[in-house]
Amino acid sequence: MKRIKSITVLQHFLLIMMSIIAIFPLYWMIISSFKNESEIFTSSFIPQAPTWQNYLYAFAEMPIIQMLFNSFVVATLMTILQLATSLLAGYALVRWNFKGKLLIFTLLSLTWLIPFQAVMIPNYVLINQIGLNENPLGIVLPFAASTFAILSIYQSFKSFPTALIDAARLDGESDLGILFRIILPNIRSTVVSLGIILFINAWNEYLWPMLVTKEMENAPIQIGLKSFVNSDVNMWGSLMAATTISCIPILLIYLFLQKHIVDSFVRFGIK
Amino acid sequence: MSEVKRIIVSEQEKKVTEQKSRRAARSLIKWKPYLFLLPAILLLGVWMYKPLLSTFVLAFQKWSMVPGTEPITVGLDNFIRLFQTKDFIHSIENTIFYTIGILPFSIIIPMLLAVATNGLNGRVKNVYRAMFFIPMILAPVTVGAIWRWLFHPANGLVNLTLQKLGITDGNISFFTDPVYAKWLILFMTGWGLIGFSTIIFSAALTNINRDYFEAAALDGATKWKQLLTITIPLLSPTILFMLTMSILFSSQFTFAYIDILTAGGPFGSSTNIYYEMYKYGFNNLNAGLSSAAATLFFIVFAIIAIGLNLLTKKFAFYDN
Repeated sequence: MKRIKSITVLQHFLLIMMSIIAIFPLYWMIISSFKNESEIFTSSFIPQAPTWQNYLYAFAEMPIIQMLFNSFVVATLMTILQLATSLLAGYALVRWNFKGKLLIFTLLSLTWLIPFQAVMIPNYVLINQIGLNENPLGIVLPFAASTFAILSIYQSFKSFPTALIDAARLDGESDLGILFRIILPNIRSTVVSLGIILFINAWNEYLWPMLVTKEMENAPIQIGLKSFVNSDVNMWGSLMAATTISCIPILLIYLFLQKHIVDSFVRFGIK
Repeated sequence: MSEVKRIIVSEQEKKVTEQKSRRAARSLIKWKPYLFLLPAILLLGVWMYKPLLSTFVLAFQKWSMVPGTEPITVGLDNFIRLFQTKDFIHSIENTIFYTIGILPFSIIIPMLLAVATNGLNGRVKNVYRAMFFIPMILAPVTVGAIWRWLFHPANGLVNLTLQKLGITDGNISFFTDPVYAKWLILFMTGWGLIGFSTIIFSAALTNINRDYFEAAALDGATKWKQLLTITIPLLSPTILFMLTMSILFSSQFTFAYIDILTAGGPFGSSTNIYYEMYKYGFNNLNAGLSSAAATLFFIVFAIIAIGLNLLTKKFAFYDN
């Protein structure tokens, strides 16, 4: 009995240490954003005289609202397109046997081997040729189909009972009808979880948006933040305020849908 | 008479059109899978495979990406230049350093943590999981900004604490020091991955049948022996999966931190292969050199991936 207890104490000690390591930087970011100019350079763990000054400065320094809006447009559009293309593709892969299926699976899996850095130059040239630089569409288009999303959707479609699909077909339901009226309502929570992961990834994306947008007014928040970090103004309070603002949407989603998110990351793996 | 004939003719016509529409339907069915796959395949073709081929071609050309100019074919010049560039050699060394260095964070520590905390009850476990996961969902820029502040040379919390504890007496400029810079980038990447990996290993562990451990315990096997003879073999698919992920993605994970914190420096001491590709392309406007590096490493990673795939098929032990 005593032995079991000591193991539990050790377990909790390990887990609490890990949790502190995981969330401390976030805590430090938030409290730094509320420290005033004289306190920011001290190691106090709770702001003695909390202030909004840093936030005011951050909003004055960068078009934060505009950039948050850009991020929101880009992430939403990307998520919708990735879900749409993967629902259609996933349906075809589960529903039919056809010539070239193996080839398509191979092509899909091989994209894991292509790092974005290996295709960024031709893509950059193409986006500029078709005039979509400085445009949210230019950020979204190269990521409109995601292998990760297709294979995840395929996995969850595979477990859907074929008897239900056959029954719907006999009732004269079209393929799109089967997909959107029969399958989708039944695996809604899986699709929602996947959508959340895709949204978070899109929100956090930064290399490609950095190449496509040069003007702050067109850039997502990550790009604004990056140039703020690199600008070497010694305004750490405001920088932490801007950083806090940039991850509020993600943290809110996480706060409300935490279990969903963790479960689906475990199920689908990482991008 | 003519009435009958007309009926017969119209019946025949009906049959013909029916056949036609049936044939059309059949060919539509034949085309349907491709129709559903078209958007995805088209997009991946235009934004992944076609540019990959362009990169292979650009590897043998010289081009500064200036609109209106044409690439000039230069043969193997880019590859020769690559190996004469000191930063490129640095970047290969560092890529290996990061790839191996990440393994304790993505496999060893998470596996031990998962084993040590196995059998914890549901609700408590969920609270821990929720916290472990936070580094995973934060943007690289966010993480970069926070760490840059924590490790600030003059006023960062780390320097203040080290001095308060009397461990150091001067400020350490972590990100401009050739030794500290790459270790810090490694730790940041590890920090982002460790919680996620622990959760993956925990999930895999809960799927292992508890009877194995009970039987082993009855036979007098120690905890350590159980770990070596039961846990690790049964976790081998997860271990190989995480190994593949670590090798293929560690350079991509570190890319963002390198860009935000050190820009590869000081003196190329923290750069990795993907960051060099980015620098050649968008700082030096040398598309050929960047593409040569991309081509070379595409081949290297492909060989590694095939190797790992074979390894997974051969050694991963599945409990059926």
